[in-house]
Amino acid sequence: MGKTGLDGLVDSARRFLYGMTGYEFERQLVEMRSDVDMVFISLLYGDMLGVPIIPPYYSLRLLPYAVPNIASWKRRAMREKEFSDYEELDLHGL
Amino acid sequence: MKTSTTVVLLFLIPIVVFGGIVAFGIKMNTLIVVLAGAVETYLAYRFYAKTLDRDVIQTDAKKATPAKLYMDGVDFMPTSRGVLYGYHFKSIAAAGPIVGVITAATLWGWFPSILWLALGVTFIGWVADYSAIVISIRNDGNSLSAIAYRLIAPRTRTILFIFIFFYLLLIAGAFVGIMTALMAARPDVPLGILVLAIMALIGGQMLYRWKLDLIVVTVVTVLITIVAMSLGPVGQSSAGPGPIQKAVAGFNKAIDGITGGRAVMEVIDPTYADPRVPPPGPNGIRPTTAIFDAATGVIKTMPNYLFWALFIFVFSYLGATLPIWRFAQPVNYIGFWITLIAIGLSSLGAILAPFISPATAAFNMPAIKMPDFGFNLAAGKPWQPLWPMLFVTIACGSISGWHSLVGSTNTSRQLEYETDALPVGGGGMFSENWLALLSLIAVAIAGGAGAGAFAAGIGKLLGVIFGKEFISYGTALGFGTFMVIVLTVTQLVFRVMRVTLTEWVGGAVPVFKNMHVTSIFSMLLTVLLLLSGTWVYLWQLFGASNQLMAALSMLLVTVWLRSVGKNTSFIGIPMLFMFITTMFSILVTAHNLYVSVLTAPAFTGRGIVEVGGWAMILLSALLFIAALFIAWDALKAWQKYGAAPGPSVATAATR
Repeated sequence: MGKTGLDGLVDSARRFLYGMTGYEFERQLVEMRSDVDMVFISLLYGDMLGVPIIPPYYSLRLLPYAVPNIASWKRRAMREKEFSDYEELDLHGL
Repeated sequence: MKTSTTVVLLFLIPIVVFGGIVAFGIKMNTLIVVLAGAVETYLAYRFYAKTLDRDVIQTDAKKATPAKLYMDGVDFMPTSRGVLYGYHFKSIAAAGPIVGVITAATLWGWFPSILWLALGVTFIGWVADYSAIVISIRNDGNSLSAIAYRLIAPRTRTILFIFIFFYLLLIAGAFVGIMTALMAARPDVPLGILVLAIMALIGGQMLYRWKLDLIVVTVVTVLITIVAMSLGPVGQSSAGPGPIQKAVAGFNKAIDGITGGRAVMEVIDPTYADPRVPPPGPNGIRPTTAIFDAATGVIKTMPNYLFWALFIFVFSYLGATLPIWRFAQPVNYIGFWITLIAIGLSSLGAILAPFISPATAAFNMPAIKMPDFGFNLAAGKPWQPLWPMLFVTIACGSISGWHSLVGSTNTSRQLEYETDALPVGGGGMFSENWLALLSLIAVAIAGGAGAGAFAAGIGKLLGVIFGKEFISYGTALGFGTFMVIVLTVTQLVFRVMRVTLTEWVGGAVPVFKNMHVTSIFSMLLTVLLLLSGTWVYLWQLFGASNQLMAALSMLLVTVWLRSVGKNTSFIGIPMLFMFITTMFSILVTAHNLYVSVLTAPAFTGRGIVEVGGWAMILLSALLFIAALFIAWDALKAWQKYGAAPGPSVATAATR
């Protein structure tokens, strides 16, 4: 249940401030990590998307750890992107 | 209350309040603006925006948003409404609402400016921002260009690219122009900007490489930059400038010595809004200075002006080509804090001023500068009629096309609930409008014109809180804030320009895939516009392209609403108004360029000025034709969906 009264106001202000300040860095870090993840998972399991690579030996051994991320990786890798999508962070504040 | 009654009331309130103040000769002050703005914002949001959101768009908290449907933890990520509101506001808030208001108030006075700010945001601004987010949510989180491709015509997407590129080019020309003039004219400004660049590089390193705490990085970088900005006027007295000002002025003089103190070229700005033109003195006459001849109106482009232009290009080049975390992002972050501190304290000053220092709170600017509102059009002379030119001069504070682009690519994919679209998108626009109102307050209490008046206004408002002794430091901080806001935008403009250029022509001309080539090419084009010396026309052409992009975004939403059988009047009417207004403004600007640049008398460096003038006329024609193409395609789509709603679009939209 959401906070009410003064607590709610303070909480809203806190979230607003975080949105204006730290959240940008959080998103940037998530982007940077996801770019590395994308390369890594594509190297291991690119064949799932039809990329002609021979899966390395480690693919099977790492599969149990990669399973939770496979679905979102596929969606992200296969989504058709506009230029504004992959340079999204550059568009801020214009 | 019926929607039609709400519309009439919201339309009449600002006209009656501000019109009454002007008609009865009441002295306008900061508190009236704050109170009237708060009332208008509350009523517009509570009774107009919420009604449309509930009854027409019918947002539903139970519908799955793209953030939930396609969550990938990166692009699609449900985010708290409060966080997203802050993030969206920061993403859309920039120099537009500040520079536009300063320019418009200088040209027409505060009364037309404040009316357009109030009415524009109430009936058009929030609608455009909010609807761009909604159309994206209801179309699987697709961006505007992707939706236009599907909903209107494939070529619409290509035309949007052209639009975006020229929009960026125009804003780059306008912003580099205003910054260069400030850096050359104000010896207390460059130190702060230089320190900002250094702090940004250090800040990026501290945060991403050394992994220091964000609060520590913020305190260190922001504090040092603010101190450097305020240091500019240290030692300044009635006897003369301080040591830093003397050092920078000496440096400028040394650079001018390269040509023996002669101008490299000369330009004429018939609007007198070029930042290098001094404001009129107490007798109403502009004085002749080292770079401005009051008798002929000629502005001299000195070598030091070119040096500072180069400085800004180097700064922007770093922002455009280095990884975003290395330079552009920390510059933006530091700049954000400086702006927040300056604007936040100034807002407080604006509220307190009528009680503490009534003389400071009073407006020192005429309510109306042109009694005929510029409609007395003389053949062979440049024109500035209130309609359509005011509506493109104040762009982002009332309505902006760029917001739609950001909202549809970024915010829409993070909305947790559909019902968050209004507080985030609409709320973000209303908040930006406040930034514009504060700029108007600053420039109106200071009196003068341009960035100088804005800075002086900030200085006065800070002086209300910290005492009169602080005014000169506050003014320096005002200049620094203005520079920072504009500079952070400019570096990103070049960054996005290079990306757009690569996307647009990189396939056909492979050399344009190289980011250094595209960055330098973009900067060379900007130089051409910069040297034309027609700052106001550049700004107005940028405003026109921005407003036209907003009109196109609303056009897309109108077609979409038609395709799903919803009422289109709340967005169709504003769209038509903005489309027709901006198309006419482009024609007026092209006319102004022709009569003031291309038929002006001969002076030094006429060749490049002419090339710049023709380039801008060509740009005007391109924007005009591109908009006509999109409108034609949209009209066909409108007719098509009127006959039978499109199945694929309707399916996605009513999901």
